[in-house]
Order: sequence, then C-alpha cells, then structure tokens
Amino acid sequence: MAVQSWIDILKSSKKTALIHDGKRKVHYLFTDGKEMSEEYDLKTDELIVRKWRLKNTLGGQGQWQAEVGEHLAGPVTSLDSDGLRENCSNPVFMRKDTKTSFQWRIRNLSYPKEVFSVSVEPTERCIIIKTSNKKYYKKFSVPDLDRSQLPLDSSALSFTHANNTLIVSYKKPNEILTLERELLKELKKLKGTCDGDVDCKTQ
Amino acid sequence: MATTKVPEVRDITRIERIGAHSHIRGLGLDDALEPRQVSQGLVGQLASRRAAGIILEMIKDGHIAGRAVLIAGQPGTGKTAIAMGIAQSLGPDTPFTALAGSEIFSLEMSKTEALSQAFRKAIGVRIKEETEIIEGEVVEIQIDRPATGTGAKAGKLTLKTTEMETIYDLGNKMIDSLSKEKVQAGDVITIDKATGKISKLGRSFTRARDYDAMGAQTQFVQCPEGELQKRKEVVHTVSLHEIDVINSRTQGFLALFSGDTGEIKSEVREQINAKVCEWREEGKAEIIPGVLFIDEVHVLDIECFSFLNRALESDLSPVVIMATNRGITRIRGTNYTSPHGIPIDLLDRLLIIATSPYTEKETRQILKIRCEEEDVELSEEAHTVLTRIGMETSLRYAIQLISTAGLVCRKRKGTEVQVEDIKRVYSLFLDEARSSQYMKEYQDSFLFNETQTPAMDTS
Repeated sequence: MAVQSWIDILKSSKKTALIHDGKRKVHYLFTDGKEMSEEYDLKTDELIVRKWRLKNTLGGQGQWQAEVGEHLAGPVTSLDSDGLRENCSNPVFMRKDTKTSFQWRIRNLSYPKEVFSVSVEPTERCIIIKTSNKKYYKKFSVPDLDRSQLPLDSSALSFTHANNTLIVSYKKPNEILTLERELLKELKKLKGTCDGDVDCKTQ
Repeated sequence: MATTKVPEVRDITRIERIGAHSHIRGLGLDDALEPRQVSQGLVGQLASRRAAGIILEMIKDGHIAGRAVLIAGQPGTGKTAIAMGIAQSLGPDTPFTALAGSEIFSLEMSKTEALSQAFRKAIGVRIKEETEIIEGEVVEIQIDRPATGTGAKAGKLTLKTTEMETIYDLGNKMIDSLSKEKVQAGDVITIDKATGKISKLGRSFTRARDYDAMGAQTQFVQCPEGELQKRKEVVHTVSLHEIDVINSRTQGFLALFSGDTGEIKSEVREQINAKVCEWREEGKAEIIPGVLFIDEVHVLDIECFSFLNRALESDLSPVVIMATNRGITRIRGTNYTSPHGIPIDLLDRLLIIATSPYTEKETRQILKIRCEEEDVELSEEAHTVLTRIGMETSLRYAIQLISTAGLVCRKRKGTEVQVEDIKRVYSLFLDEARSSQYMKEYQDSFLFNETQTPAMDTS
C-alpha cells in the first residue's frame, strides 16, 4: 500500500524528459513544490544521479541535494567567502546504486577492513558505519525504503573494502525492484526530445 | 606542545559618529510610566513623553494593530527625538522602520508601493529554521603565516567527536575569528555553517589536568557524540517585506541578473499573508507588529493619505507614528487646507501628541547633554550665553554652535569654551533670523534681482 502511494505521487507529478549525452534525464515537479531530477544510463538503464531541490521555510529556492551520484561541482567558491571547507583528504561519501542493490561508497578511507563495523538501526531507520579507531562515523537513512515505508533488514546489508574505498551494499527488496521496473516503463513512454535546447515545462 | 605566540587580534571598535539625535537612549520613563525631568537624553516635554510611553506599552503588548499616532509641534521641539526614544526603548527585536515623507516619491516605484513596502518592513515574523552546525572538540589548529607578515594566511582545523575526526581548511575570515575567540586545542566549539559564527561551549573533560591555571568561568563539557555536522533549529526574526522579496525573485538563473525587486505583485503578498497566518495557527511562527515612523508627513499627498486610511485597517498593519511641524496648511495634491496638511478623515483616526517649545531651563539642560555628547567643555558663562542664543534664535542653531565653538577654543589652545569663543562663532555664522534680515537689506544687490525691476516700456 505504502509502495503504491509513492508510485501515485510520482505519477501525479509533472515530468519533463530529455535525452542527452547518452543519458535519459527526467525532471519531476511535485505538487508540494519539491523538485527531483534523475539521470539514467540509456544502455544499462541504471540510475546515475538523483537529486532533490526543496523550498526553504521562507519560500526561497534551496540548493540541489544529491541523493544518488556525486555532488554537483557547483561554481567554485573561494575559501575566503566560505570561511571553512572540508579538507580534500577527508572521506567522501556518495551513493551509487546497482541493478540489484543500493550501494554507498566512501573513498579516502585507508584503514584496514577490520576497523569498520556497519550495522542497521531499525528503530531510527538508519544504517550506521563505525570505526574502532574513532576516525569515521556516519549515520544515514535509505530514502527509497523510507518513501515506501519498508522495514530495514540487517541480513540484506554487506560491506567490502578495497582501494581505500569502503563499499556498503544493501540488497533491494522485491517491492523496490518491481517499483523501479514500473517507473522505468513509465519513463520510457515519455517522449524524450533528443538533444538541443528544450523548454522545460515543469520549471 | 609548543604553541607559537599568536599576536592579539585588534578589536575593531566601531567609531560612532555623532548625529543630531545620537544622545537619545530611551524615553526616560520610570516603571510607572512617569517621565523623569532629565533622563536618557530627553529633557522636558513631560506630557508628550508620557503619552509616548503609553503608546510604547501598547506596541510592546503587540495585540493592537493599525493604530496611528501623530506627533505635532513647532520645529525643534523634539518630535523626532521622541520617536527615536520609542525606537531605542523597543529594543532590537521589534522592527522599527523610519522614513522621511519624501522617500516615497520615486520614479521606479509608485507611491503606494513604497508605502506598502514600508508597512511590511515594520512587521516582523519570528520563525524557526533549520541550519547546519558543526560541533566538536578542537584537536589541533594549525595556522601558517607568510614570512613577510602580509598576505593570505592558510590554516587547518581538526575537530573530533567521540566517534570521528575531520580536518577542515580555513579561510582568512575564519582564522581571524578563531584567534579572536582564542580557540585552543581542547575547546569544544560550534560553528554555524551558514553564518560562520563560532561559539565556545567550554573545555573538554579529557583535557582537564589538576594543575592547569584557568579562570573561574572556565566550564568543562563532554566531548560531543556522533557526527560532527548536525542540524539544529534556530529562531530568527524576518520582516514580511523580506519574505516578499525572497518569493518574488525571478526563478532560475535569471535571478542572477535581476538586481532590485521593483514592485511586488499583490498576489505574492496575498499568498504570503495566507502562509504566515497558517504558520501562526500551527504555532510555527509568531507575528511581531513593529513601528513605522514617517517624518515630515505633510509632504505626502492626498493619494498617500487615502492609501493610509485603507492600509491602517488591515490586521497585518504596524503602529504608525507620524510627525509634522506644520499648522493649518494646504493638503498636497488638492486645493483644500487642513490642520497639519492631513485630511480630516485621517486625522480622525490618529492619536495626536503635541510638543511645546522648551523653557529656558530645559534648553540649558539639552545644551549640556549635547556638550557631553560632542565632547566639548563649556564654562558657566558661555553656557548661559549659549542658552540665551538658543532661546532667542533656535535650539538647533545653538547646538550647531557647540562644536564650532569647541573648535575655535581648541585653536587658541584653550580647554574650556569661553564667552569669547561663542561670540566669535556667533559673528562668523548667521542664524536664520539674521540671515533673513541681511537678505532684506541687500536684496537688490543679489543676482537675478533685475527681473524684479519694472519692465521697460517698449511700446
């Protein structure tokens, strides 16, 4: 039922599709003013980027927040205007899904695999990465499961470590798999204009 | 660990310039709203100050919207001073917008738009917003200064919680504020990501040693847990006008090119009013009606007055204080005359506070206060002379003479302004009456006076 409601929200949103650079780009505008933008690989149909833009409390437009894929390299701001910036040697957290599982990659973590422990916190609906040397800690939720109100299952979780990168995978439940198949079918029906500038109806 | 000696960051104290009303710090009332003769920079005008005090209480309660007050009186009787006093007593949390009547006449914007913007600037909304903060214990601060002493500094800050550690690169501004706050390794600090504001929470327990020398006010706190970056709710006040501006900006990349907002559509305003009312009902926001002060209100014209009539009836309207020094005069934009140059129907909605001319004693007091404000020492006789000048010409002229006489006194290396100094500046600078007198006498020798002579008979 909950899975259904998310599909309905998606269906009721205004969508614009565009095929560019070997990617199918879709822009959604929801009735509550939220915007979502997705990019799929044309060949493999894999989700490459999903980002969100919300209105802030006073009605102004916020920044795009990446849910899947790398953070946008926005206009390069100087350190002086920001005042403070994370050093580039710090771990970088990003999500990159595969067909069958949600996957998170944390680069710049040069500690051995034994240091890490990854666990599910079902009450808080989040996954926690801990390090025994107290260097890295991350608590994050799985928005896809939250939207469909599916429970988190610790048996679906696994992690590996290689090339200074920690990879955490969570097997997609069947409900999510069917939802994604249905959505993709729906998106393929949208006639995506090929290349060139198009007027974005939803913006 | 050897710490390099960090040179003290010079505190940038703002140099306050002295303005006409910078000596006013409040209305000078006691708890029972009784005015004290001389207090907080205000002297005399007891009745009008008491009246202003009652208005002030009304504003502070915040329940009454759309009332208007008119302060009327001769020039130089403290109308603006009373308004400033109200502004000072309201404190920084209540919005106070001051504008002169002439400010609404602009070619870019209609008069009513300028007035509505002023109205909406005077209404505050207290609202909760989420911001990102960084909270952690300082492990290490490393600041590299260029050997030449000038140029960009570079720095690194390592922060940790019980679970993790992160290194940050620091910009120049952040380095300055860190050294200003005297942040050291072992301090627990929070940094507001949006504003860059640093606040010290205390020292970490793990750094507590038995024989450390530290002040009595040093607090020990636990090292924060979990992630370094947290989301936190903060309450802040914005004006309705600011919300209008945020929502009326052109969306998308065009927003970069649209500098000023110009006129704001009435639909946007209606939407925002509805939204704010919704927030208030949900308990998310609180409305703070403020004060709109319109000085020289007689320069407004009949269209503005009729707009005011209407605008005062809205329930999202601030308390409007107007000031004028006119008697019965023509209403601008019409051929009718009316008291204060304000139509009777608007006057009917106003509470009128009258100010009266100052007595000699009061003038003396005011001059004394101004001397202190402008840092000029006055001898007793000079003070008496100046008071006489103030009574016979105008208070403003007498106040102008204070700093000029002070300068003359300093030139002759004196410490206290004497009667001679006053005499000297009195002869150097004309007051309004003497200037008019001079005009009348030498009218004929001024330029363009020839047109006044009867035209030559050419027929």
